[in-house]
Amino acid sequence: MKRLGPVSLVVNPRQRQFEALTRAHAGDLYRYAYWLCGQDALAQDLVQETLLRAWKSLDALREAESAKPWLLTILRREHARLHERKPLDTVELDDNLAEDAAWASPERHGDAAELREAMSRLPHKYREPLLLQVLGGMSCEEIAAELDQQPGAVMTQLFRARQKLKSILQGRRPEVQHGLP
Amino acid sequence: MDCLEFRRRLAAEPQSRDPELRAHRESCAACAAAWERAQAFEHELLAALDVPVPAGLADRVLLAQATGERRQQQVRRRHVAFALAASLLLALGVGGYGWRQLDARSLPALAVAHMPGEIRSLDLVQPVGAPAIAAGFADRGVSLRGPAPADVTYVHDCPVGPYKTVHLVSRIAGTPVAVLYLPHNQVAQARDFHRDGWHGRIVPLDHGTLVMLTDRGGAPHFDAVARGWRVAIDGESGAQVAASGGVEAEPGQLAP
Repeated sequence: MKRLGPVSLVVNPRQRQFEALTRAHAGDLYRYAYWLCGQDALAQDLVQETLLRAWKSLDALREAESAKPWLLTILRREHARLHERKPLDTVELDDNLAEDAAWASPERHGDAAELREAMSRLPHKYREPLLLQVLGGMSCEEIAAELDQQPGAVMTQLFRARQKLKSILQGRRPEVQHGLP
Repeated sequence: MDCLEFRRRLAAEPQSRDPELRAHRESCAACAAAWERAQAFEHELLAALDVPVPAGLADRVLLAQATGERRQQQVRRRHVAFALAASLLLALGVGGYGWRQLDARSLPALAVAHMPGEIRSLDLVQPVGAPAIAAGFADRGVSLRGPAPADVTYVHDCPVGPYKTVHLVSRIAGTPVAVLYLPHNQVAQARDFHRDGWHGRIVPLDHGTLVMLTDRGGAPHFDAVARGWRVAIDGESGAQVAASGGVEAEPGQLAP
């Protein structure tokens, strides 16, 4: 019987780049989208729309290192476009979020739930730079450029974001201190 | 860097690896403790933000992209096919128009188009005399080399398209056959044609072309009419050459 050779699938480099981009960043994009809008289904839609837009302008991406901030920028614009007629402020978090072992582990569940609640109450102008810093890994200067603000203003927002989170948590946890760390 | 600046920076950028921050931390126990608390909070914050990603999210995005891309390709292929079909139609249209233009300028088309204005000439029965026939040819700069046929009922110098012709009508057994002689214009081969109800034959002579037309059943007489006019125009010797193997050997056949 004649043996068949291995099947070779010829995928063009652009398609390969997009697949790698999607697999590498879909998770981060989802987390960012989720905390931006607070809804699982909408967050998934935002991720899909973001990546499909990225596909259309993939040639604009020159360096792999800039992929994540580039995608976050697209996602922010998509989110803003969806909510351009709505004021962006606190969000009601979706309770239908899928649970995984880490999320549901007894030792973390309580802390995470309190922080999630605190995040949901955080005003948009504080929440967005904080997400870009913690989830996006951006520096103050990069966040300032992204939000079209001065780096000093961003530093103040980040400072106040953490202050407010701790302030919210303070009511629940007596040991959390208010003010500077 | 003092403690206040350190705390301010720590509150805004707790994960900063700025050497200045590290240096102060190593020299100030209170700030080092604050840094530890900040790191613990950051760890807690990151864990809280680390929501589980829905299973298969990346694959669903890739599926949507691949599906959309295929649809786009199909649309693009359809557009290409449409453009090709449109180009083909345009080419056929242009080709057809060009062919019609070319055909309209062909000798059979010009000859047939000339006839409606001269249709009454076919009804004439009174023979014109040999001098009138000779004069008609002379007007076109042609001297007859032989006797003109006796059954000629019409002679006139007519322009047919770009050609200056001698228009004649020969009657044979009561059937009129229109004859156009184009001096100084010679076709390569004889051919028959049928167009708009007219039967016709084009015959090359020594120094011109003879076109015979009939719409009244005169086609069987083309051979006799051609022979008579060949004798008149080319002379007896020319007619003999033609009869011994010239273009009229198969006068009924269309030339290639």
